[in-house]
Amino acid sequence: MASSLVAGFEILSFAAIIVLVVLGLGIIASMMGIFNFAQGEFVLLGAYITYLAASRGMPVWVGMAAAPFLVGGFGFILEALIIRRFYAAPIVAMLGTYALSLIIREIVRGLIGGLYLSVPEPIGGSIDFGSVHISAWRLVIVVVTVGVMIGCYLLLARTSFGLRVRATLENPALARASGISTPAIYGATFAFGAALAGLAGALVVPVFSLFADLGIRFLIQGFVAVMVGGVGSFMGPVAGASVIGTMSAALPWIMAPVIADVLVFVLAIVFIKFRPQGLLSGKGV
Amino acid sequence: MSELRADLSRRRFLSGLAFTSGAVATGLGSWVIRPDWANAAEGPIKLGIATDLTGPIGYAGNADANTAKMVVKQLNDAGGLLGRPIELFVEDTASNESVAVGNVRKLIQRDKVDMVLGGITSSMRNAIKDPIVARGKTLYIYPQLYEGKECTPYLFCTGPTPAQQCDEFIPWLIKNGGKRFALPSANYVWPHVLNEYARKVIEASGGEVVFEEYYPLDQVDFSATVNRIVSNKVDVVFNTVIPPGVGPFFKQLYEAGFQKNGGRLACVYYDENTLNINQAVEIEGLASCLDYFKVLTKDDPVSAKIQAAYEKDYPGNFLFAAGSAATGTYRGLMLWAAAVKEAGKVDREAVAAALDHAKIAEGPGGPAEMVPGKRHCKMKMYTAIAKGGNYEIVARSEGLVDPKECCAAARRGMARMERSRQAHG
Repeated sequence: MASSLVAGFEILSFAAIIVLVVLGLGIIASMMGIFNFAQGEFVLLGAYITYLAASRGMPVWVGMAAAPFLVGGFGFILEALIIRRFYAAPIVAMLGTYALSLIIREIVRGLIGGLYLSVPEPIGGSIDFGSVHISAWRLVIVVVTVGVMIGCYLLLARTSFGLRVRATLENPALARASGISTPAIYGATFAFGAALAGLAGALVVPVFSLFADLGIRFLIQGFVAVMVGGVGSFMGPVAGASVIGTMSAALPWIMAPVIADVLVFVLAIVFIKFRPQGLLSGKGV
Repeated sequence: MSELRADLSRRRFLSGLAFTSGAVATGLGSWVIRPDWANAAEGPIKLGIATDLTGPIGYAGNADANTAKMVVKQLNDAGGLLGRPIELFVEDTASNESVAVGNVRKLIQRDKVDMVLGGITSSMRNAIKDPIVARGKTLYIYPQLYEGKECTPYLFCTGPTPAQQCDEFIPWLIKNGGKRFALPSANYVWPHVLNEYARKVIEASGGEVVFEEYYPLDQVDFSATVNRIVSNKVDVVFNTVIPPGVGPFFKQLYEAGFQKNGGRLACVYYDENTLNINQAVEIEGLASCLDYFKVLTKDDPVSAKIQAAYEKDYPGNFLFAAGSAATGTYRGLMLWAAAVKEAGKVDREAVAAALDHAKIAEGPGGPAEMVPGKRHCKMKMYTAIAKGGNYEIVARSEGLVDPKECCAAARRGMARMERSRQAHG
């Protein structure tokens, strides 16, 4: 009983981490049609900002709070300078963002000397229920993820900004004809996606410690999650991420981890073969 | 000499400009460090370093290159070897085997070095040993702790082997932890082969292996493993999971109360660099067994002198640490220097024959000597535990520990491989 409780929580918390990382990726992929290969590096930047704040003697949560805004701002500038030129050619966009990701990653690697550095969590230790120990910080991540998910859903489904974002995705020409500034919407959406990645990086860095390949570690899983969930809606990638995250964390409990690692991808490929439109096929929000 | 000068005019010109003692770039990731008396009658002895200056283990490669620069500077200041200065050629292996082979060929064919030291991972050693030893007809020294079983003529290993890291360490763990071992491991060659040896020592010392399990190299969630460790009442976690997985793994173990309930964490590659992966409290009491820890500088004046010299020349991120192969690099270069002095020439056969039984009285962590016929190095070994973000030495070997490598069984294996290679052309 105790053991299955622990298992349940650990699986939930890892799924939450994957969802958190995929949220920004999914929004940019679904709402803009750009597969942003630099998304992992936005996660890395969020983590790096948190580390910088902590190593300068500031409270860790200051860095965590600043990370989404700084990374979001950085995303906004990148969109205006570079990403904007790629909208007409999605393949070129992939290559372009891949190049960006390399540049950011190697700069960060240089800055941290290629080392692995620990970042303390603002709320550390574990919460004990008898013999059951639950990581306090992982619990925070689960709560924040649920909060951010609901927040994003409300933003896209219930606000006029969300409506304009969806209109821009659905039919850019008609949106422009209706007086919506589509470049501004694209810029804001990209910045928002980047900010979510920054937040994800800030929150997960105490769990995984800071290293240059932190972002790329989750990128492949993120794209698989987007494919499984389905491009074109907000809920699709979130659903996909929940499935991939749960499987990645749950399978090692019942089989050899080396096999589990491969099996997640095999199952994903088989699933996409039979349901190419994904779990939720771009309907709704 | 004048023809040579014409051939290498750009480099010579640049080096002249730099008043000869500076570092000269010769393409991406290659450096020549020229002594300021490079024009001695016989010309300099050429030393090649091929290591991972860039890539994920760049921190280790840079520490090794720095160590080499320091040693060469010291040797040159003391009059060089055989009255000749040493010229250092540094090439980047870039954590990429195909890049590495190309760059090592440059060292051998273009720079015509007399010896190559380098490589950190076993896959890198396997990639570059053939270009150096077989086709390149050059000496090769491999400085990193590794899984053993390397028994190639002209290839000398100066880092610790499984025997050196397990024979005294595992009985200590049983005494100071318990009998029930778990071996969580990254899925590549070093953990597989090391565990095979560790298991033998554990069982021979009265312990038992509760489970041995391998994980993908990029796995970062270890909840299932931690649960297995806790529910099986494991006493000692003998870890060979590597970064990036090791940080989250140790954190999850700590959060599950493993150490609080009397568990002992052990990891034989843990040095000063890896201390920063986790917060100090998460790895409190972690035990490691290496040929050198910085804390030794407190009571060993030789180690203190080497450490101080390194830190004076190279303050910063690239630490002089055993897990980065920096101590193996120091030892390797000094043993080689001793061999060159004894041989009286830099010719491969003569130096290899002298290196076979070379000794140094002073090195990081203590003296070292090659075991004749085995091409591996005897050295002192230390057991240390992490305490508040530092190490504390808790046990040290009586004398020099035998590497127990390249013995009869290994030689038979080599002969078999050699025969099958010849059979397959």
